Amino acid sequence: MGLAAAKNKRRLGNDPNNTKWSRNTDSFGQKLLRAQGWEPGQYLGAKDAAHAEWHTEANSSHIRVVLKDDTMGLGAKRNTGDECTGLNAFQNLLGRLNGKSEDVIEAEQQARDDVKRNLYVEQKIGTIRFVKGGWLVGDVVKETLAEEDEGLPPSGSKQDSAATSSAEDTSKSEKKSKKRKAEKEGDDKVSKKDKKSKKRKSEDDVDSDDSRSKKKAKKSKKSKKDDEADAANDSDGATTSAVESKKSRKEKKEKKKSKEEKREKKEKRRKEKASSSGSGTETGDSISREKKRRKGDKKDKASESPAPVTQPTVSASSTSTPAGSGYSTPTISDSTSARYLSRRRFIAQKTMAFSDATALNQIFMIKS
Amino acid sequence: MSDYKSDSSDTKGAKRSMDDSISKDSKRVKTNGKEKMADYNPYLAHMYEGEGKAAGQKSILDTFTRQKTTAEQASKAEDLDVNPWTNQPHSQQYFKILQTRRDLPVSKQRQEFLDMYHSTQILVFVGETGSGKTTQIPQYVLFDELPYQTGKLIACTQPRRVAAMSVAQRVANELDVELGEEVGYSIRFENKTGPKTMLKYMTDGQLLRESMHDHDMSRYSCIILDEAHERTLATDILMALLKQIAARRKDLKIIVMSATLDAQKFQTYFYDAPLLAVPGRTHPVEIFYTPEPERDYLEASVRTVLQIHATEPEGDILLFLTGEEEIEDACRRISLEVDDMIRESDAGPMKVYPLYGTLPPHQQQRIFDKAPEPLRKGGRPGRKCIVATNIAETSLTIDGIVYVVDPGFSKQKIYNPRSRVESLLVSPISKASAQQRAGRAGRTRPGKCFRLYTEKAFKKELIEQTYPEILRSNLANTVLELKKLGVEDLVHFDLMDPPAPETMMRALEELNYLACLDDDGELTRLGSLASEFPLDPALAVMLISSPEFYCSNEMLSITSLLSVPQIFVRPNNARKRADEMKQQFAHPDGDHLTLLNAYHAYKSAEQGGQDVKQWCHEHFLSFRHLSSADNVRQQLRRIMETHGIELISTPFTDKNYYTNIRRALLAGFFMQVAMRESSNSKVYKTVKDDQLVMIHPSTVVTSPYDWVVYNEFVLTTKQYVRTVTNIRPEWLLEIAPVYYDVDTFEKGEIKSALTRITDKIKRRQVLKGSR
Repeated sequence: MGLAAAKNKRRLGNDPNNTKWSRNTDSFGQKLLRAQGWEPGQYLGAKDAAHAEWHTEANSSHIRVVLKDDTMGLGAKRNTGDECTGLNAFQNLLGRLNGKSEDVIEAEQQARDDVKRNLYVEQKIGTIRFVKGGWLVGDVVKETLAEEDEGLPPSGSKQDSAATSSAEDTSKSEKKSKKRKAEKEGDDKVSKKDKKSKKRKSEDDVDSDDSRSKKKAKKSKKSKKDDEADAANDSDGATTSAVESKKSRKEKKEKKKSKEEKREKKEKRRKEKASSSGSGTETGDSISREKKRRKGDKKDKASESPAPVTQPTVSASSTSTPAGSGYSTPTISDSTSARYLSRRRFIAQKTMAFSDATALNQIFMIKS
Repeated sequence: MSDYKSDSSDTKGAKRSMDDSISKDSKRVKTNGKEKMADYNPYLAHMYEGEGKAAGQKSILDTFTRQKTTAEQASKAEDLDVNPWTNQPHSQQYFKILQTRRDLPVSKQRQEFLDMYHSTQILVFVGETGSGKTTQIPQYVLFDELPYQTGKLIACTQPRRVAAMSVAQRVANELDVELGEEVGYSIRFENKTGPKTMLKYMTDGQLLRESMHDHDMSRYSCIILDEAHERTLATDILMALLKQIAARRKDLKIIVMSATLDAQKFQTYFYDAPLLAVPGRTHPVEIFYTPEPERDYLEASVRTVLQIHATEPEGDILLFLTGEEEIEDACRRISLEVDDMIRESDAGPMKVYPLYGTLPPHQQQRIFDKAPEPLRKGGRPGRKCIVATNIAETSLTIDGIVYVVDPGFSKQKIYNPRSRVESLLVSPISKASAQQRAGRAGRTRPGKCFRLYTEKAFKKELIEQTYPEILRSNLANTVLELKKLGVEDLVHFDLMDPPAPETMMRALEELNYLACLDDDGELTRLGSLASEFPLDPALAVMLISSPEFYCSNEMLSITSLLSVPQIFVRPNNARKRADEMKQQFAHPDGDHLTLLNAYHAYKSAEQGGQDVKQWCHEHFLSFRHLSSADNVRQQLRRIMETHGIELISTPFTDKNYYTNIRRALLAGFFMQVAMRESSNSKVYKTVKDDQLVMIHPSTVVTSPYDWVVYNEFVLTTKQYVRTVTNIRPEWLLEIAPVYYDVDTFEKGEIKSALTRITDKIKRRQVLKGSR
């Protein structure tokens, strides 16, 4: 937060901990306790108590707590502004110094690059979400390819959303989604799933005081306009098959994205762990589960591949509007669309300059 | 009937001789019993009435040998058509309940329990929630202890009053007896027991108070400490006491019942007592963490609830938040969002209920309502969402919860002996309570728990166990109780978790200043009297010394009002009107007097024959709290009368009416005085501890008085003193000369102010003398 944070002035007294009292050895209480055989530094309670092994520091001094006057989640740290930036460049070197193998370093570098690229794509273009449209077998489009494939696409998005769920969970969720599929239409389902993943992602969104649905409503109104404005820039031929429209909240995108990537990695790691450890303990129907799990893993890895525009289950930090609002391109909210306008103008100027020979000569100071 | 009896006495004999033969023997008896049952026609119950009465003289229980019964025998007695305790025929409902009782997990281990119970004096019993331990174990003991033979009762303690009352009612139903007769309860300010009572549910505090006059707890043959894992202050002290008493009284049986979590600690503490564990009926719960810490746990929790509603299959949601304000806010937001969700997508309906301690009981009851039906047939299922404080963690069991959302915080009482602040602060929960919360999801079927923190945070930032209350409280009252209980050596009193030495010192010091303990640490007469009151020592001393100020009636009212939750209601949507109404009762000199005015207005409205509830509603007063204050007042008054404390008032027309009250306040609260810092008109400094405080915004005091006495010191975003009244520094020197001995003060503004006043008084005396 740094300078932008609300100032919270608090005046402290000269002796907020009242050490004056605690150091005073003449107080009635201390005299009495000493008279009964207590020495400073000792616990109260029975001598040589069998249960003393459970005593903690709370038994020796009062419990100290940090006064919490915000709604920051458990484990969240206020950004004090002293975090190192730009360390990424040295990661390889540091890794080598720490004795990591080349493979590991390469993999890490790969992951970082993926993050960077995804971030870039996400920021510049936004990602587009697709809905499953069946499988093309020969000349016919089929609803499903085979029985067990049915659950796969939703499971991908489920994996995204229930980030920390174990591999076992994925198989469960697959089952669940299958069930739901029976009652629900495809569109609906995916939108729900999306909502879930969106939710996860936007949990750390700060500007969240607005109710989400309000935003949604606003957005869907706005989207027509935005869509027109951005169509030239964004659609790039990739949007044709999309059914669902999307919204990206650009304000916090960077943060979100990076977090999300981290999470993805984490998830992947966990999944690997789970599948290795889980296989030992599972019994009975574990084989079928195992299969699914492996598939899930594959899927998961696939979802990490940096091709957000064509991956239906790619974990994008963009949020989706409910199905049926009818726009497929990510519409970029107005704070950024202004930036895009100026940027487009700049690009246009550049292309013009490049296509103009005289201008080029001027730029490169070539005298003709 | 007579055959039957001889049969069971056979069993008894067998039990004595050989273990092997029991099972055969009792089996035979059982079949016999069934034949008997076949003979007995319940539809002709009225025909047997005479017979029942004849048998009434000799109940089947007479054939039991105390502490040698078997589960078989007991269940046979339960199967009879005549209630063995009352000799009345059983109601139809009884057998229905009996059936459900037999299905409880604990029921399967009845014999195992009895065997273990017979073999040991202290037993640690571990049963997860839902095992039925609270209702069943005391009944098992009842059938074994046969209290009418010894005239000694069975006590079962509960940490909460509500639990004591509701469990007693439940058990009375199960035994098919009237509540208050064979089964009763006793809580602070309410005793529902009778001469026939055999099984008594009570709060742990109540048992502690009883033991002040009965150091050996000689009325009881068995004491069951339930919910010991909650580690309330009273339970902790009871455990230490019972450990002592058990050594003296070998006939006293003790059962400590706990949830699984730290049973080992209990075992070690009670000389490696044997442990009996009963599995609860719980299903697996899947735990989810967030991958990253949340920036805003409130926002995240609301969103998680909505997400669950949108994507997860049927099942109710339980969300844990910290306090009333947060809960009400979250409830509002969730309901709004769900309405939107229903409008815009095909979501099911959801009812959102708040749940916190100060919520009126009828609203608390609403959480047990059924989840709403789907909006249309075949639509998405409806569900309910309960937004609760950590009451829902252990004490209340709500069936149907499948999803738990846990942000990882709760409001906890913390006491700092150095600044003498006891405050409710939002702090991270412990691992144990996180698991407890998660466990709530698996009551009816496999559930899910969404933790709004990372796994790393769970492992690194959460402590193992919640600190027991004894480490988090001001111990002045406890020390006074211990002294009254005859505990001389406070240093080596064998508590499971001994408090911090500083906390103990502070308590002793406060009691010494209040003259409850003399300089050798012995209980004084005042201290002994003060311990009779179920109040903080300061309040008790204030009440006892109030006749000296000719206002004991008024102080009694004020004390009662200070012992109940805030009586002024300030709903969010009508804050301004509420404040205006409060101004009607305001007394410029302070909040204590305002409380008194409100109470007097309430009483006169009551006497005027008005609809008091309506009147309270109009005046933004809490009828519930006012009437409970009224109740407390009656109880305290009775105690005062039995100890011969005069009830007097200064005539209202006397100009000293309010002055006397203000002075009387100081008799108990002279240690809670703050002086305004001359430089700043809003900041006060507490006497001796030199803490900087502000007056809480809820006060009616508008003029910046130099000296105020306060009822409590609270820590929120700032340090506040709440419920303040203006006083004059001269009174301090006069009423508490020991505490206000100017020489003991550190150099500073307060010392110089006090010195000035001393000089002024001296000069005045000299002037008087010279006249």
